[in-house]
Amino acid sequence: MIEMMKKDFCESEKHINEAIQKAQKLQAKLNAVVTFVDPSEQIENAKKKSEGLMSGVPIVLKDNVSTKGIRTTASSHILDNYVPVYDAHIVDLLRNHGAVNIAKASLDELAMGGTNLTAATGAVHNPWDLSRISGGSSGGSAVLVASGVVPFAIGSDTGDSVRKPASYCGVIGVKPTYGRISRYGIIPYASSLDHVGYFVRNVKDACIGLEVVAGRDDRDMTSSYKEVQHYSEVCDGSIKGKKIGIIKNVMNSITNKAVIESFNSLIEKLKSEGAEVKEITFDEDLLRAILPTYYMIANCEATANHANLDGIRFGKQMPADSTEEVMVASRTAGFGIQVRKRFITGSYGLFVENQEKLLRKAQRVRRLIVEAMHTALEDVECLIAPAASGIAPSIESEKMDELASEYLVAENHMVMGNFSGYPSMTLPMGFDEGCPLGVNITCKPFEEVTMFNIGYGIERCTGLKDLVAEVK
Amino acid sequence: MTEVRSFEYLRKLARQCMFECSDEELVEIQQEFVILEKQIELLNMVDTDGVEPMVYPFEMETSFLREDEVVNVLSEEDVLRNATKTRNGHVLVPTVVR
Repeated sequence: MIEMMKKDFCESEKHINEAIQKAQKLQAKLNAVVTFVDPSEQIENAKKKSEGLMSGVPIVLKDNVSTKGIRTTASSHILDNYVPVYDAHIVDLLRNHGAVNIAKASLDELAMGGTNLTAATGAVHNPWDLSRISGGSSGGSAVLVASGVVPFAIGSDTGDSVRKPASYCGVIGVKPTYGRISRYGIIPYASSLDHVGYFVRNVKDACIGLEVVAGRDDRDMTSSYKEVQHYSEVCDGSIKGKKIGIIKNVMNSITNKAVIESFNSLIEKLKSEGAEVKEITFDEDLLRAILPTYYMIANCEATANHANLDGIRFGKQMPADSTEEVMVASRTAGFGIQVRKRFITGSYGLFVENQEKLLRKAQRVRRLIVEAMHTALEDVECLIAPAASGIAPSIESEKMDELASEYLVAENHMVMGNFSGYPSMTLPMGFDEGCPLGVNITCKPFEEVTMFNIGYGIERCTGLKDLVAEVK
Repeated sequence: MTEVRSFEYLRKLARQCMFECSDEELVEIQQEFVILEKQIELLNMVDTDGVEPMVYPFEMETSFLREDEVVNVLSEEDVLRNATKTRNGHVLVPTVVR
């Protein structure tokens, strides 16, 4: 898709204009865009970048990606008027490859959520069924790829925030290895878990996308020096002899028959292509502890990271008589209740008397979970499981039982990819009630080639490639 | 652990984060703390004796210092561009010492 678009620049300009028109037309139904971006200067730049891997290709950025001179809100009222004075590293890379950013996409406020119902601009709707959620936190980006507006969109993934909306929206969501993509200029959530990720509609584009945005950046000390491979050239899509491990705990906790049938059917096809599949059972207590481990680590880190959102040096300021009260008033008015709840949980974990029994305990459990993943991946090249326990929930639906394994394990197992930093991606695997179901794979660190090869195999087995939702 | 769900305690947590919550919001937070406490019990089901906390995915220490060169500098104008009030190259806040 990306290669096709960049072949002819006259055609590219047409594609860019069509993308903008389509995004504008769909905005009333999807509510996926926070800010539309004037592409004129970028088009002129793209003309000079004809050799770039995304020359003239329209793309979208999640609105927590800093864009110089373009409002960047992270879907929070407190950043309503914030205009960055510098670009994120990935913006530089995308520009160098001639990509044209047409919009900043909605997210759960400050990327803290999994529904995209908490954005300051309101809920984002799933293009396959407008009464359902897009998933989050990168919901706007997922929806704009799923509805065919753009072939590539940037998201961020702290606890499955690319891979879950990808599952709900019928697109591919990639979260590469921690450090593979620089996070400089991304408004942070939880630094030890934050990854830049992206959405595409086929595995070839996933390969091209990583070639563009990966690489060392001295401004992010966690970014890796490892060479960026030419993934689109070195991946041959062969899965013969590949060893794949099914996470049995996830399958045991899922009750939805469509998910189970769809997954089992995929596994049979992978076997018929020569993959060697085995079942892997993790310690159930470890997997049931994923969510509280995540809550503690993510919320404690977020509470510290967002201490700078006080309306003083940047962001929306509320008037008050003292500096301290300006901060309190600005933060009270600027944050939605869901974000304030998470900060309260973080503050709870950071209290001196709680740090050892909550935050440190969570960090110890994190190590055990990652060690268990490492051990599992000594026997297989890839872990596989459904990305969610079903299709996207209805916007009005009741919360799941938050203590049941279906919620704790099946809905949250992908967070293991954030704990470990291992590369992980979600692909479409089937449909239920006209809405997509996703499958997730996770590989060893920096083995994106293996991940994309298995991804190609899955794409071939399901035949679900270049899906575009028809928005009704 | 019920004292952690009192309005007083939750207000203290909120104030620690420099914001306030309405009584209605505190009731919602109280209810969610019931679930949170039960989920925290799941952490305690895991034996972590002798296990070191894991703070980052890859625990490779940075073993070098970068060159002491001035890089990635923002101008004063850019630094102040997003501040609501500025004066003489500074961010202006309400008087701190009266």
